[in-house]
Amino acid sequence: MTSAMTRMVARLLLLPTLITAVAILVKGYTQPGDGFSAGVVASLGVLLQLMVFGREEAEKIPGVRQAGTLAFVGLLAALGLAVWPLLLGDAVLTHYPPPGAKVLHFGTLEFITAVLFDCAIFVLVFGFVVGTVGAISRAIEDADEQEAP
Amino acid sequence: MPLVVALLSAPAAAAFGMLRPAGAAPVGAAFCALAFGATLWGFASGGGAVDVAWAPSWDLRLHLELDGLAALYALLATGVGFAVLVYSSRYLPLHLEHQDRPLSDGTSFYFFVLLFMGSMVGLAMAQDLILVFVFWDLTAIASYYLIGFDSHDPDSRASALMALLVTGVTAVLLLIGAVMLYAAHGTFSIPELAGRVEPGPLLTTAGLLIAVAGLAKSAQVPFHFWLPRAMAAPTPVSAYLHSAAMVAAGVLLLGRLYPLLQKSDVLLDVLLVVGSLSMAVGGVLALTRDVLKQLLAYSTVSQYGYVVVMYGLGGEYGAVGASFYVLVHALCKSALFLSAGTVTEATGSDRLSGLGGLYRSMPLLAVGSGVAAAGLAALPLTAGFFKDELFFAAALERGPVFAGLAVFGAALTFAYTWRFWGGIFLGTSDAEADRTSGVLVLPVVALGGLTLLGGIFVGPYLGLALAAGSDSLRAPADVVAAYHLDARPENLMALATYGLGVAIVLSRPLWSGAAGALSRLGERAGPERLYGMGLRGLNGLSDRAHRAEARDLRSRVAAILLPGGILAGAGILVTPTGGTYRVGTVEAGDIPLLLALVPVAVAALTTTFTKRHVTLALVLSSAGFVLALVYAFFGAPDVALVAVLVETVLTLLFLGTLRLIPYEVLHRQAGLPTEKRPRKVFFAAVAGASTFAVVWATLSRPAPERSVAEEHLKRTPEAHAGDAVTAILADFRGLDTLGEISVVALVLLAVLTLLRGGRLR
Amino acid sequence: MILILSLVIAVIFGSGAFLILQRDLFRVVVGIVLISNAANLFIISAGLTRGEPPIYPLPEGAPVADPLVQAMALTAIVISSSVAALLLSLVYRLYVAHDSVDIEDVSAAEAREAEALERGENPEREEEPRESPADVELREDTR
Repeated sequence: MTSAMTRMVARLLLLPTLITAVAILVKGYTQPGDGFSAGVVASLGVLLQLMVFGREEAEKIPGVRQAGTLAFVGLLAALGLAVWPLLLGDAVLTHYPPPGAKVLHFGTLEFITAVLFDCAIFVLVFGFVVGTVGAISRAIEDADEQEAP
Repeated sequence: MPLVVALLSAPAAAAFGMLRPAGAAPVGAAFCALAFGATLWGFASGGGAVDVAWAPSWDLRLHLELDGLAALYALLATGVGFAVLVYSSRYLPLHLEHQDRPLSDGTSFYFFVLLFMGSMVGLAMAQDLILVFVFWDLTAIASYYLIGFDSHDPDSRASALMALLVTGVTAVLLLIGAVMLYAAHGTFSIPELAGRVEPGPLLTTAGLLIAVAGLAKSAQVPFHFWLPRAMAAPTPVSAYLHSAAMVAAGVLLLGRLYPLLQKSDVLLDVLLVVGSLSMAVGGVLALTRDVLKQLLAYSTVSQYGYVVVMYGLGGEYGAVGASFYVLVHALCKSALFLSAGTVTEATGSDRLSGLGGLYRSMPLLAVGSGVAAAGLAALPLTAGFFKDELFFAAALERGPVFAGLAVFGAALTFAYTWRFWGGIFLGTSDAEADRTSGVLVLPVVALGGLTLLGGIFVGPYLGLALAAGSDSLRAPADVVAAYHLDARPENLMALATYGLGVAIVLSRPLWSGAAGALSRLGERAGPERLYGMGLRGLNGLSDRAHRAEARDLRSRVAAILLPGGILAGAGILVTPTGGTYRVGTVEAGDIPLLLALVPVAVAALTTTFTKRHVTLALVLSSAGFVLALVYAFFGAPDVALVAVLVETVLTLLFLGTLRLIPYEVLHRQAGLPTEKRPRKVFFAAVAGASTFAVVWATLSRPAPERSVAEEHLKRTPEAHAGDAVTAILADFRGLDTLGEISVVALVLLAVLTLLRGGRLR
Repeated sequence: MILILSLVIAVIFGSGAFLILQRDLFRVVVGIVLISNAANLFIISAGLTRGEPPIYPLPEGAPVADPLVQAMALTAIVISSSVAALLLSLVYRLYVAHDSVDIEDVSAAEAREAEALERGENPEREEEPRESPADVELREDTR
């Protein structure tokens, strides 16, 4: 069993990890990092919970139980973002606003579709990592159960 | 507009079928009727065309047009489709009940029938070769599922595969022909091509390839063997696909491309020969078959032989006659197929020898299918009479030899049609018929009625055929069909046909031996056997390759590494390399990079002699982490960040997997003596050495041109980005990223399946 | 510098190749990961320019690292790591099926099954369209 110290640290770390992930995501366009690394960071935060508190506790965090579905939602979103410029008569994966146009700013945050694309990747990667490791941990639990009786 | 309705109908029926299995048929039939109405209305109001650029850079256009030819085939597909759907709403539940299958299995049936209908309508309207190809393959796919509907039956599956392979492989020829035409004339559009092509070897070759695709689909000799096999499908499928839709697609292609084909005499002669052969082979074989649907299948082969011959004969009578023939044949043949299904359903027998005298118990069906049979046999007062009149007229234009051939073929038709109908309904037999639902009889009567109507008021039918024929000819066609009570050649030929037909029927004992011998010869040495041999040969080849792989997995790896290394080495040896290898300089700034590289190499080497698995995993991950450091020194913070994160997750995965596999199993591996070590070291050394040579050679010679990266870097601000790497990933080379995340999602799917599979066990 | 980089890449690749030749499937996976590491390092070092990170504002005068190879290496890293995850779960699956992570055991079992199939089932098996070979293998694994 994990010690009280570990549990406390793990609990404390969850929120900062997630915030870091979001920061990496939205700042990715101007600084190192992108949807992919943000997704991994966020899922590492969740995985820490999984290791310390067990799977059942971790699955209380929204989105963890449906990780697999989430990944495919991300993929679909990315595909959709890639394809919808076709409807406007542009090439696949055209991002808006076009070069030279003014960008809506919110602080240093920029509203461009490329960031949305990154968000989709974020969701996909989060689903991938959490789903894969979660599946392995489930397999471990099952194996343990089989041995126990 | 009709196309939209037709294409929508399949998903709509499927959705309803999922809610309530019984709901699929009415909804499908309603959509079918709607599509029929839309086509009729669209054609009556002068047709319509859609022509939008689809992918302009590849010259692909979404070019659909509801011209005469399209209207003819679209009306057939939707009209006969409607009759068939009504019929199967009663037939299919019975069929499923016989096989102890749940009613919900029927939903997929309706889905694919309607999908077929939709793609057939699309095919009819397509004016662009690529579009034709797309719809063509859609019909093939739908037919695969329909023929293999009884998927528990190996025979049914094999037949479905055969139909798919024969029509699918030849469809590739269609594509090749289309691309050849495009390469020469710069367009896929059929009307434009018709204006541009010149007679010559190119047209002949391309036309031949396309014609082969059409002939295979229409089950012409020597591709005819798939059609009788495809009779394994439920009867409504046979009625639909093999009278009005699937096989009609083949001649539709011929009709659509006729403006091109008719410019080459060679092609027309090929059509003539293939058509006459099919006519004869199909007709003779139809006379020998005992199973009802087999008889009808061979009759279809022979009937489409006529159509092909008519296209081969050419001229006004040929083109119009072919279209008229397809129309009438579809009505009659689907009625006959459906009556075969009803008879089998009522008596439980699907063979002529077990049937007879049914006119007493099923008078309505006897009349309905009798009219259809009369139509097929070209008796007066049915639309069928005119199909033969046009056929004779076309043959007469070419000369007495063809006229004789035509009479002979028509007489064969007369004979086997008589055999079919007479064998079921006339004579005496102890076959007993259960009462059948009216739904199983009415479509037959309706189709028969349409045939009869065409015999009395031929105007609308002929009008449709004229419109279709003029589209094939690209010139207005004017052909008159009417009854003439005089001794003109066509009438004499018809009389000769009836006489000869009766003679064939009466003289059955004389020729049945010879016909049987021909049929056996076909089975022994026919193309079907060739197909079987080809399939078995391919399968044997794959088996042998698989066995070689399964027996010796590791030497296969070595077998790839070693020749790969040798080839790369040889490539380097023969390349002039004088002075190209550069050692490079080590500057002060590179020292940290060097220091980081050393542990990576050491860690990699360590993995080769680490025994314990956990240590191995940790050494691997340490190599990964130091590598991330290396990336950072390369001025790649993005890569470094991702590498660190990925390495973390990968380490977790490695340790998790190790935890899953019991210690003893792993320990057994760790304790194994290393056998053939020198050999492996040698292979690894060869691999390493050739990698070294390749990498060194590449790194020594950076491309002298300006890099595209400079452009990327320059344009990063335009993409509203600061980090060039992210901009490349999300914007400039976004498709790469799209591919990458698709891989990730697929891997997730596979991992979840694999792990869950282990749990469910 | 070029020489040293090539040497390191070659060493990593060689070690990976050596591991791939082992009987232990786990080592094979490690070998594949090593080879992809070598490839990634190669991609990065094939950059035409080296220098500061390619992030705006760009440093004046100083050379900037080639962003294109970085993007490609990123893609490669992601794909190779997901492939590694797939391989690991395959190894686990093989262990569940054959109780071993030894490639000799697995291939021996597969050869046995192939023979059993040939003896037991009808020769027309090739004409079963609904069953792709992958399905068959998967089912055999679970036996």
